[in-house]
Formats: sequence, C-alpha cells, structure tokens
Amino acid sequence: MKFSVFQVSRKGGREVNEDRMGYCYTRSAGIFFLTDGMGGHPQGEVAAQLALQVMAALFQKEAKPALSDVALFLTSAVTAAHRQIVRYAIERNMLDAPRTTVVAAVIQDGMVTWIHCGDSRLYLVRQGELLTRTRDHSFAEHRQLGAGKLNLPERNNRHLLFTCLGSPSRPMYEVSGPVALQQGDRLLLCSDGLWTGLSDIDITYHLSHKPVNQAVPDLVESALCRAGGSSDNVTALALEWETPDNFLATRTSISTDTMSDAVFASTVQGGWSHPMQDELDDAAIDRSIAEINAAIRRSAARQA
Amino acid sequence: MAKVKPAPLPPDTMIGGYRVLRKVAAGGFGVVYLAVDSTGQQVAIKEYLPASLTTRVPGALAPEVPPEKLSLYRLGLKSFFEEGRSLAQISHPSVVSVMNFFRENETVYMVMNYLEGASLQDFIVTARDLKQAKVFRESTIRSLFDEILRGLRIVHQHKMLHLDIKPANIFITDDNKSVLIDFGAAREVLSKEGNFIRPMYTPGFAAPEMYRRDAAMGPWTDIYAIGACIYACMQGYPPNEAPQRLEKDRITIALRRLKGVYSDNLIEVVEWCMSLDPLSRPQSVFLLQKELSREGERRYTKLTAVEKVRLQFDTMVTDNKKNGQKATAVSGRAK
Repeated sequence: MKFSVFQVSRKGGREVNEDRMGYCYTRSAGIFFLTDGMGGHPQGEVAAQLALQVMAALFQKEAKPALSDVALFLTSAVTAAHRQIVRYAIERNMLDAPRTTVVAAVIQDGMVTWIHCGDSRLYLVRQGELLTRTRDHSFAEHRQLGAGKLNLPERNNRHLLFTCLGSPSRPMYEVSGPVALQQGDRLLLCSDGLWTGLSDIDITYHLSHKPVNQAVPDLVESALCRAGGSSDNVTALALEWETPDNFLATRTSISTDTMSDAVFASTVQGGWSHPMQDELDDAAIDRSIAEINAAIRRSAARQA
Repeated sequence: MAKVKPAPLPPDTMIGGYRVLRKVAAGGFGVVYLAVDSTGQQVAIKEYLPASLTTRVPGALAPEVPPEKLSLYRLGLKSFFEEGRSLAQISHPSVVSVMNFFRENETVYMVMNYLEGASLQDFIVTARDLKQAKVFRESTIRSLFDEILRGLRIVHQHKMLHLDIKPANIFITDDNKSVLIDFGAAREVLSKEGNFIRPMYTPGFAAPEMYRRDAAMGPWTDIYAIGACIYACMQGYPPNEAPQRLEKDRITIALRRLKGVYSDNLIEVVEWCMSLDPLSRPQSVFLLQKELSREGERRYTKLTAVEKVRLQFDTMVTDNKKNGQKATAVSGRAK
C-alpha cells in the first residue's frame, strides 16, 4: 500500500477547535478519520476526540494486519464510538451528552470503503473529476436532493443535523463503497468549516491540480479567508493513492510494504489536548521567546 | 520551476544589537550568519527563513510569506523554538550552546557561540582520500566519541533526543574539541502533543525506528547513529540505510573486513550500537561510554587466508555499490 497524506486543522475564529482528525495504518489496511464536535451541546471537542480514540483503538485491535470485514468494522466502530460518548456523559451525570459528526474511510486491498454520520464529508476525486461525495445528514441537503423518503419539517436551520454520535437516539449512518482505487485518486475528508466556504468545483480543482501537501493547506486557507473572522474550525485530511513501484519512496509518501505484520502506526493519541496545528499567534511567539531566554539564563546561572 | 532562494541579510546589517559579518551556511530551515556583538565577540546567528515558504529580495529585511503558506510557516516556527528550547536547557562543552533568542524583521533569531573548525564529515572525506587502511586511528575514534558521548548523555538527561546525529553534525573545533551541533530535529520525547511530525532523518545514520510512524524512539535511536558515525570513521563512508539492511544486511561483512585493522572490541561496539533491534543496542549512553572507554589490551584478530580470499571476492562484487555509497556521503539530509 502506498499513499501520501496530509492533514491540517485550524481553529478559525472560534474559541476552541472542536475538530479532530487522524489516521492509522498497518501493513495491509489504513483508516482515515475526521470528527467535528458539535456546538450547542457541551464539550464537543471531547466527543470528537473520544470518537477518534475509540475507532483507532478498535482498528488496532482488529486489523491484524487486515480487517476481516471492512464494512462491518466501520459500522461497529461508529457504534462503539457513540456508546463510549454516551457512557462518558452518564458517568459524569451530564444532562446533555457531547456530540460529534464522523467520517471515516478504510483502505484495504486497493479498495476504499467509508462511513459517515452528520455533515463531515468525504470527496473522491479521479482524474480531475468529482467521482462522488457523501451527502450530509442535514435537513438542507436532503431537501435539496428532493428526498421524498424522509418526512422532514418545512422550516428549519440549514445546518441542523438530524443525526450525530452522542445523541439519545441511535445514530444513523451510511456505509458507501467499496470503490477500487486507481493511481492518482484523491480522497478528502473535511469538516463543514471547509465546504461551507468552497464549492465542490473549487475543492475538486485544488485536489486534482496539486500534491496533497499543497492542496490541503491551500483549501484550508481559502476556506478561512472566505469565512473571515467568524470562521468555523476548518479541518481537512487528504490522501493520494499511489501504485507501489520500484522507485525509492519519496519522503512524503508512506509505503506500508516494508512494514512487518505486527507494526501499527497512528497519529491518534490519548488525552484531550488541542491539535498542535492551532496556529501560533504573536503573543504565543513572544511567550516562547521569553521562555527560551529564561531557560538560557537559568542554564548560564547553573554553570557559573 | 526553480524557486529563488530568499536573499540573506547583507554584511553590516544590525539585528538585535549584533552586526552581521557574513553568511556562513544555509539550510532548509534558514541561514546562519557570523556576527559580532557590541563587545566584538563573534557569534553565530541562525535566522528562521524556510526557503520553501518565504521570499526576500536582496537588501530587504523582513521575509515575505504568501498567505497560503502562513500556517506551515508558523508550524515550522514551532520546530525552530523546539530547537531553542532544547539547547537553552543544556550547558556543556560538547553541545553547541545558545546564548540569546530574539524576534526582529518579522522572524526569529537564535544566537549561538561561534565555532571555528570543520565538521567530522570534512575530516572523514579528507582522511578517506589518503587511501590508507585506517581512516582514523582507533585512539582518535575512542577519544572523539568519548567527548561526544559526554555531551549526548547530558542531552538525554534532559529527556531529549538529538535524532540527527551524523558526521556533518559533529563539529571539531580548531582547539580540538568536538561539539554536537544542529538540534533542528531534537524534540522532547516524553511530552507528546496531539499530533506528530516525523523528524527529518539522514539515510545511513537513521535507526530503523525512525522510518516507522509508531516506533518508540529513545536513547537507543541516537546510539544507533553514534554507531553509524564510528562506522563512517572506520570505513570512510556511511553504512547502508536501515531499510536496506532490513532486506539484506551487509554490515557484518563490511566490519569483518576491518578485523586486524581495528580492535575486536571496537568492531563489536559498532555492531552492538547498530543492532537493528532497538532492544539489542546499548540502552543508555552510559553503558556505551563504559564499553568504549574500557582500558586494557586490545585484541586484534587476523583473518585467515581463506577469509581474506573470500573478502577480496566480495569486494570485487560489491565495488560498484560502494562507489554509489560514497556519493551519498557528501549529500545532505533527506527531508
């Protein structure tokens, strides 16, 4: 398995970054996920982080090194994440549970299968064209689709979701795929902070014309610019599928072929820490410099 | 699409009370200048100026960062601070010391003591070209690495790893002191943050765990690099890259060729440090120091006639390969 991957999360104009992202892989399977903790309920960032950790842990447990049933794994991982969030709320006697969206994709045997719940999206771009993307579980998107299948109230908030993890009702989710990947296919996972500001055409264009390590920062930057000072958290993770070849792997690509079976790699870590990508502002830069100079003085004093 | 590198500050520019004399080096992260402070003392100043993210026209002071690259620029700044933070805590003659850190021209600067001399890399290349059986004398190797290990031990005591030890990052001053430089890849390993950035590595000197995302790095990771540096001092060229070794390991054969030239003990130390399995290496610098400074008679095993013939045959077969590796000895760090 060979791919290059790049992820960025920015806080935008919000107090807290409630988006989380990450990926894990073994020799034969990779999982990429993104969660967006919901406002209007307490501790969205906790729900987002919990979901990520639960899914990563389950992946580590079951991908040995391949998953026996990818679709089944995805549904059980999402269900487990939901239960864990609800349990977290119960243990703390919270009146309202934290909530999060989720989108997760598994690549195995050259095929991609994904699951989503809420309005975090997956885009699959092939040869400059949008092959498919997820449909949000929002009233707006389903009305647009003219979905007669759902009996929805007429007037409601465009962004209102009708399902997510952590809510009292069982989450609804959709599993899509598997789709056989071709060399150069691009996969993007993003939070609504990214797609509200950009059209599908913009997203497709950026993804298909640049390597992911440029496309992702560019996309995130333009979404932030469009939204201005009141921007939501903007998070994106993209990967480019590469066919293993005889050339030496470049530094940006990950090749799992040389990994031994027992190896498991992950970007997901425990704790509630905010993503490191929260940008350094001027005050933080000055603080860092002051800290370093204080440390220099301490070392010099010790020496004297 | 050759991108123009940002221009260095011209001589006589004043920054943070220092006067720039000239540019002495430039890397991916920025530019290093020789400068003098108000008392006339020479210092080295490293300017954060990532070539891929910034532009600066000759004569200008502040670098320009295109808006779409601002987030990466700020992210890189974190690594630059990381290096400053690492070095600030350490005060040891074998570790380059940082004297000041300041912000100016919309970027940041790190002031370090200025070292005069040459890198171990330069010495190896010079010695190798003499084409003698020994690249360095064994006593030289032992005392050189004894000094470096004293510094590295302090680094590890501060819960930090260097993670890019290689001959180019070992500096030999004109008054014969060896100093560990360039802590750009160093990071505090015990305080993990939400996301990781893989450290940069240099093929040949990077331990196998540096190539894996999950791997536990520790003192043993730097110790692998030390072993590889000693190897380079004996052979004159760097060892095979770790992934290559995982496929087919030629290190033992290469070291056998040095039997009789270097003592059995030194050869064993190198093999120990460069074990592919992190747990099989010396787990601390202290253990390695103890072994390396072991006094007493050195045993040299002569090769038998049959072994010599076999090695000569091997040499003929692998000669092309070796030439290929020599080329990498002078190339920089992979990114």
